[in-house]
Amino acid sequence: MIYLEVKLPDIPGSLIELIKPVSQNGGNIYGVLHHHDKKINTMIPVDIWFELSEELIELSLENIKKGLIEKNIQLIKISLGSKNKVLTFILTGHVFDTDITDTIKRLGSKNIKVLELHAKFTEVDEISSVIMKVEFPEVMTKFESIAEIEKICKEKNLFLIRS
Amino acid sequence: MEVKICLIGKGNVGTCFLQLLKEKRDNIKVNFNFNCKLIAIFEHDGALINNDGIDLDDILEDYNNLRKNQYWKSNVKAQNLISTLDIDICIETTPTNPNTGEPAITHIIQALSNNIDVISSNKAPFYLQYEKIKNLAEKMNCLVKFEATVASCVPALSIKKNLIGNTISRIRAILNGTNNYILSRMTAEGISFSVALKEAQELGYAETDPTLDINGYDTAGKLVILSNKLLGWSKTIEDVKIKGITKITPHALELAKLDGYVIKHIAIAEENNLIVEPRLVKRESPLNIQGILNLIELQTINAGSIILIGRGAGGFEAASAILNDLISIAKKRRNRN
Repeated sequence: MIYLEVKLPDIPGSLIELIKPVSQNGGNIYGVLHHHDKKINTMIPVDIWFELSEELIELSLENIKKGLIEKNIQLIKISLGSKNKVLTFILTGHVFDTDITDTIKRLGSKNIKVLELHAKFTEVDEISSVIMKVEFPEVMTKFESIAEIEKICKEKNLFLIRS
Repeated sequence: MEVKICLIGKGNVGTCFLQLLKEKRDNIKVNFNFNCKLIAIFEHDGALINNDGIDLDDILEDYNNLRKNQYWKSNVKAQNLISTLDIDICIETTPTNPNTGEPAITHIIQALSNNIDVISSNKAPFYLQYEKIKNLAEKMNCLVKFEATVASCVPALSIKKNLIGNTISRIRAILNGTNNYILSRMTAEGISFSVALKEAQELGYAETDPTLDINGYDTAGKLVILSNKLLGWSKTIEDVKIKGITKITPHALELAKLDGYVIKHIAIAEENNLIVEPRLVKRESPLNIQGILNLIELQTINAGSIILIGRGAGGFEAASAILNDLISIAKKRRNRN
């Protein structure tokens, strides 16, 4: 997802001028938000978010920027949404006895960031289970991230159930 | 046309097959234009052999009649006699060692070597020595069918002929009714693995020794057969990464549920890998089937996902798959002749 922040003059037709270069360059528009409350003089901040084909993303973005400049639209910011991937899994075994903080840190050292964690246990030193939602970078395949998790599981004798 | 058959192994599946054959023989004659003549029934301690055809009504009345029958020969073995019999199709349903595939492998090899087509409900020969059996069948210009080995009467293997214009890219399946029953009960009731297993045993859904089911070996064997047949691979059970279901706890199932998942024991054939393991599956996924059912999802390149669901075990379920194979081979034999 691409987020574009611009300033548009508060006059009829200005939104069309913003949308044209986006749609003409393959942008699939998901939403537009006018910040009327943040109007300064005659200019209103506007957010627009859209998707572009992965293969053409660089070229299309360049063309969109050029189009906006040609139309004298003031470009504030372009940002690409997170491309990280998410994986959910359960670990069963002596999850706490084998130091869950260490497990999380070691995942982090491989750029696998724990986003959520929920646990179920009777006693901390007995067999317990945790469900984790983790985020791993786009450059890493799901297979690679699972291999990292499996390494830790093997060492700590934890049973992995993944999505 | 007359098709002469022999049955090796008159256990539950073999007996159900004979009952089904008896029920449907008139229908088979009318609809498929062939008579099925049973020449021999081999058991572990002998064989009933009658070249004029065994009377099905007679032997189905009483199991013990088999050994009292005038044509009964004690202490003879199928592997020694197959070559001497005038038969077209050998139906192999013996109790077989899951690690060696014997005696089924020997029976199958013997039959094919003597130009006899083969139907088998035994998995082990096909997850241990599929290539050898396939190559021998091709060399001898024989047919080998084994639909009953995977999901019983669900046409998991024969569906291939209906997808020849398509390409199957991935298989995901639930292939063990015992495991699916146990996990379904654990999920629904929050009970432990051991309680769910005991319940499955009491209901007859699990064997007295359930090891091959719960450790994933049975599922792995079926996955090998599916992937070899449908994806054209040449794998054996050694190639499967296997995890069973014994370590799944009620806590794990509860956590899964809180996040919209269930835990299912899934068999996966994908990107040249074979995996059998418990997986988190979205509650709304078609893989979330309950009880003793089997499911096979074929991901195809041209038509998306195709799903087959049905009862994957049972004597008559397997027997109907064998009868399908028999009719299919008989039709091909007619075209061949």
